[in-house]
Amino acid sequence: MGKTFGQLAYIRHIITFSLSPFEQRAFPNFFSNGFPNLVRRFRGQIFRIGPPFALLYIAFDWTTKTHQALLRKNPADYINDE
Amino acid sequence: MTKIFRKSNPLNKMINSSLIDLPSPSNISYLWNFGSLTGLCLALQIISGLLLTMHFSPSINLAFDSTVHIVRDVYGGWFIRNVHISGASLFFTCMFIHIGRGIYYGSFKNLKTWYSGVILFILSMLTAFLGYVLPWGQMSFWAATVITNLLSAVPMMGGTLVETVWGGYSVGDPTLKRFLVLHFLMPFSMIAVSLIHLVFLHETGSNNPMGINPNMDKIPFHPYLSFKDILGFSFLLTFLITFSLLLPYLTTDPDNFSPANSMVTPPHIKPEWYFLFAYSILRAIPNKLAGIIALVMSLSVLLLMPILIRSNKRSMTFMPLMQVTFWLMVCNFIFLSWLGAMPLEPPFILMSQISSFIYFFIFFVMFPLISRNEDKILEFHAMYS
Repeated sequence: MGKTFGQLAYIRHIITFSLSPFEQRAFPNFFSNGFPNLVRRFRGQIFRIGPPFALLYIAFDWTTKTHQALLRKNPADYINDE
Repeated sequence: MTKIFRKSNPLNKMINSSLIDLPSPSNISYLWNFGSLTGLCLALQIISGLLLTMHFSPSINLAFDSTVHIVRDVYGGWFIRNVHISGASLFFTCMFIHIGRGIYYGSFKNLKTWYSGVILFILSMLTAFLGYVLPWGQMSFWAATVITNLLSAVPMMGGTLVETVWGGYSVGDPTLKRFLVLHFLMPFSMIAVSLIHLVFLHETGSNNPMGINPNMDKIPFHPYLSFKDILGFSFLLTFLITFSLLLPYLTTDPDNFSPANSMVTPPHIKPEWYFLFAYSILRAIPNKLAGIIALVMSLSVLLLMPILIRSNKRSMTFMPLMQVTFWLMVCNFIFLSWLGAMPLEPPFILMSQISSFIYFFIFFVMFPLISRNEDKILEFHAMYS
């Protein structure tokens, strides 16, 4: 069932590398590199994800307001009422 | 050479090759957690469901009261029921995200895995519908009436079909009993299909966000992804417990706190939130049979994904226009779901019709056109820029 390690791909030379536990840093440069990267990724996606959600909001808003407007009576019908 | 027990014993070998030494792509994101999370939800639903069955009486005279009895008298019964209710919502949340991820990253190109997944999705929808009828509240009864009546639109044999499903001339005691039996049985068939889903998945290996062959750079499932899955489990259980303890009836209908009454139709019959998109499509079309065909199409369109999206790139990661279309589909899905919960009044009717049209337009026109031509546009752009 499926391929196992050793038969996945033809790889010349096996390179293994490891880091000493004394050298490991779980969150290296979290703020100095991570935050600008977050901004970069956000800017890369916002114009692809934003417009559909903006449309969704406009459609939702228009539908709700139109429904409320349709539930109201037409004031012109009661203009001659006492 | 020493024999490694996890690799020599036939049973352990299976567990080893699917949970320990499984070569997995090194770049899969947290979106790849949702398959295992859906599996966890299924397990939790089966366990909580089993405990609920022990105190439930499947008779139209006792079902509602026995549900109240579970919540009020059975030790911890309220919690088990709340877990079962919130678990169903989380199950579908995970499944929708799982399917969305499959569409976005082109996972449907693993045909056998995708088709078994679609079968699982349909089975879970059926199971959830059957389970919703069991407490025999107003909404349970009317949901059963509305949905089973859909079968009456089948030409020639509609009436016979409906009566066969009912076990009588209306939704009644035999309907409730057979629904319990099927609701109990189907999750086990879902386990079997899940295993098939996994076998097919492990045959090809997981897809990855880049949509390229990841065989050059793979990592063992354990410890990397096993621990990542456990982290996902802890988040899901946190959500489940939060919803079960604080907002257990968040997604349920208040009408279901009244016992079923065939003489009183609730003013707004609507299903649980995860069926609303399909319900909205069903309601949008005035003709009964056409509505049902659209409803079936709204689900079975997933089966056509490998034909509809055909590009030489697997993932949408490098296809900006496809990404916009995908998010448009997501927003339209949310809008349809919201419309499904609204009363049948203007402008909701018109908006449901427009939204249903957009749903199929995205799947049948936008996805095929854009996926086939976007790479050409990008190539053209690259050539002349």
